[in-house]
Amino acid sequence: METVHLVTDKAARWDHSFDPELGEDEARAREHVERLLQLAPFKDITEKKLRSVPLAGILQHDTRIRRLRRGEIVMRVGDYSNSAFFILSGELRVVLNPPLPDSVIGRAKVRRKGVIESLLQLWRNPSYPEVRTDRELETDDALISGASSSGQAVLRNVDGILERYNTLTRGAGDILGEMAALSRVPRAATVFGGEDDTEVLEIRWQGLRDLMKKDDALRDHINGIYRQNALESQLRRIPLFGHLTKEQLVKVRESTEFFTYGDYEWTGEYKKMAKDGKMLEKEKVIAREGDYPNGIFLVRSGFARLSHEYGHGHRTLNYLGTGKSYGLREIYHNFKHPNSPVSLLNSLRAVGYTHLLFIPTAVLEEHVLPNLPRQHRPEIIDPSRLKAAEESPTENAGQWIGTDTLEFLAEHRFFNGTAAMAIDMEQCTRCDDCVRACASTHDNNPRFLRHGPSVGKIMIANACMHCADPVCLIGCPTGAIHRELAGGKVIVNQATCVGCNICAANCPYEAIRMVETRDPSGIFRVDEKMKPIVKATKCDLCNEQRTGPACEAACPHDALKRINLNDLGDFARWLNR
Amino acid sequence: MRALNQFSGWLFVLMATALLAWVYLAWGRDHHQWAFPSGWLLLGMMVFLTAYNARKKLPGLRLGSSRLWLNLHIYLGFFGVVVFLFHLRFRWPTGWFEIILAVLFAIVAVSGVVGWILSRDYPKRLTTQGGEVLYERIPIVRRDLAAQAEAVALESVGTAKSSTLADFYAAELHGYFSKHQHFVQHCMAREGALVGIRQRMQEQDRFLNDAEREEMKKLVRLVNEKHALDFQYSLQTALRMWLFVHIPFTYSLLIWSAAHVVLVYGYSAGAGTVPMGGAGG
Repeated sequence: METVHLVTDKAARWDHSFDPELGEDEARAREHVERLLQLAPFKDITEKKLRSVPLAGILQHDTRIRRLRRGEIVMRVGDYSNSAFFILSGELRVVLNPPLPDSVIGRAKVRRKGVIESLLQLWRNPSYPEVRTDRELETDDALISGASSSGQAVLRNVDGILERYNTLTRGAGDILGEMAALSRVPRAATVFGGEDDTEVLEIRWQGLRDLMKKDDALRDHINGIYRQNALESQLRRIPLFGHLTKEQLVKVRESTEFFTYGDYEWTGEYKKMAKDGKMLEKEKVIAREGDYPNGIFLVRSGFARLSHEYGHGHRTLNYLGTGKSYGLREIYHNFKHPNSPVSLLNSLRAVGYTHLLFIPTAVLEEHVLPNLPRQHRPEIIDPSRLKAAEESPTENAGQWIGTDTLEFLAEHRFFNGTAAMAIDMEQCTRCDDCVRACASTHDNNPRFLRHGPSVGKIMIANACMHCADPVCLIGCPTGAIHRELAGGKVIVNQATCVGCNICAANCPYEAIRMVETRDPSGIFRVDEKMKPIVKATKCDLCNEQRTGPACEAACPHDALKRINLNDLGDFARWLNR
Repeated sequence: MRALNQFSGWLFVLMATALLAWVYLAWGRDHHQWAFPSGWLLLGMMVFLTAYNARKKLPGLRLGSSRLWLNLHIYLGFFGVVVFLFHLRFRWPTGWFEIILAVLFAIVAVSGVVGWILSRDYPKRLTTQGGEVLYERIPIVRRDLAAQAEAVALESVGTAKSSTLADFYAAELHGYFSKHQHFVQHCMAREGALVGIRQRMQEQDRFLNDAEREEMKKLVRLVNEKHALDFQYSLQTALRMWLFVHIPFTYSLLIWSAAHVVLVYGYSAGAGTVPMGGAGG
């Protein structure tokens, strides 16, 4: 075919402002920025602290003001989203306990292809690779802004909800949703407008990240609010603290310390360490085996590795993800048997970026342990059988899945995957039905490579794992790569992807590919400088299909499974199926 | 769980066979009409078994998992052979049309069984051996190994000031590296494939100087890599090849079966008058 080029505009950061009107109307944008610069915390930030990214640019392009009605939902529990909210005026209500039912908060449904559309894929799939229709590249305002459709949803019976559910009121100057946006964890609570004309400033996480990086006061401000607002409700959800009175919980909250280990953008360091083969030695020790257990560590986000000295090295016993804790068993033993104390049985190391809460032993002994319900009491350590105790299946996941496999998962950090593609190579006939199914559900473009690191009979293929900590999101200038609002799938919005390659470079698993795109007639899309329009592509777990992941359903031999490696129980069951 | 599924599958085949045998002995053996219900049953099963291929083409529709379809395909396939034998009344087919039909059925059934056996054995062998290479990349890796081997042989002329190794390469190894070798030996798990080459390489040792021996070590390593690659190629090819027999012959069988139905009805003028030998008799 003769080489023909189609000139297409190449996207850049802030091409699509969070509030599209602020990107187009200069006068309005100026007014918006000037207004915000009068308010804390922005009035205290000096331009020189933001060398490469101007503050005015962040405020213009990464923020938008939303005026809420009473009952209008701002965020929903369990959602993944990428923005935080400063309250400018009025009040917001945070639903504490119990959470509102899904039906009440009008959770949006993912658009799925219909039967006819799925059938027509057979004939309609383009003949050329990586075709993008003009419609696909049209800007979708909802996705560009990163705003949830819940912005439009309004609770019908606010008074009834306030009667039936426990809520907290937040007012002007407060910030909400910052931890979920920055730590890339699900929203902890549903939040809605407490009164009409409540004004909130929504800031997408790229902007918040840049502000926090450069401004200590803002960082302290956010941490302070976090301790005051989020921490208590967070502690309340941990079963270990379920029996505490309000006063006791406040005491625990006030004594809780925050620790962050590793680098927020850990992937570059990880790739270097993996190359050197010295991963474990370079991981920062959070708690060392043999030390006095001076408190418990609760993993808030990220991962930590539990290891035990073995020979001249360390053997991985398990890894702890969000919500898991370490240290309670030793502390409880010492509390019950003060005359035969034990030290920490294992070491805890930060894997990449690990955000932890630390509660001191003295606080636990005073408020938590005396009335700890039986079901939460850890097993007492028998020093004479210490070795056996160390091998208990609750701590040593290697017993379920094999030590080699556990080391493999830890070394490659596959535990990050919530939908890793595990293939049993002793069952896999290499028929590539999975690849063909993937291709036919993605316009003839397979979104994974049936190849990857393996241990024993298990291979983890090069497919997006939809990570619990999706580092690919870090650095995306437009927020094109984002977590789906419900379900947590990591999706690339083709319309706003600028082809900068940051996500692909960040992904430690090499699961994102950059491709040159074409129009439906096969003509390469290029920008005005004749450079190809490049887009990031990856597995989307067949988000639009009715069947779920086509690769898994297409495997005739039960060899391929999309599996949550956060949960080793699932993995063990599948291995021993 | 998997063992339970297999047990259920074989139990189904056994029970269905027993039921069919009972109907045949009680009624079918003595009635001309037996050919009709058994024939339609067989044709229906063949259509259903062929539909598995269509299921694979429609991954976007909720038609059940491929695993379920394959299980049904295997056990119904085995039962299909039983139905076929009952349909034939355990006699040899007569007439060219019937013979072609029976041969087609036999090819489809045997290729299916072969594929089933290969699918259970070869993946384990491939995994145990290690060094997996994607099938599409095998030719690239082979070309790379061949280029490396040729470079070693040519280099030896300069370093050792002798053409002994290069001559040996040209005579014995060039052909080995230029294409995939020992397909059958690899498929049959016979280790003899490499023995001959290794022996010839060892025999060369007495003619080589120290510099050439170093180069020969490199060639030995490359031969081992090529051997492992041939193993991958042979088994992965076999895992694909059986389908190139099974699927085309399945469609041929369906076409012949449709023609068989037309002929049976066309020449029998009704179910009650069809001769025991069927259309081809």
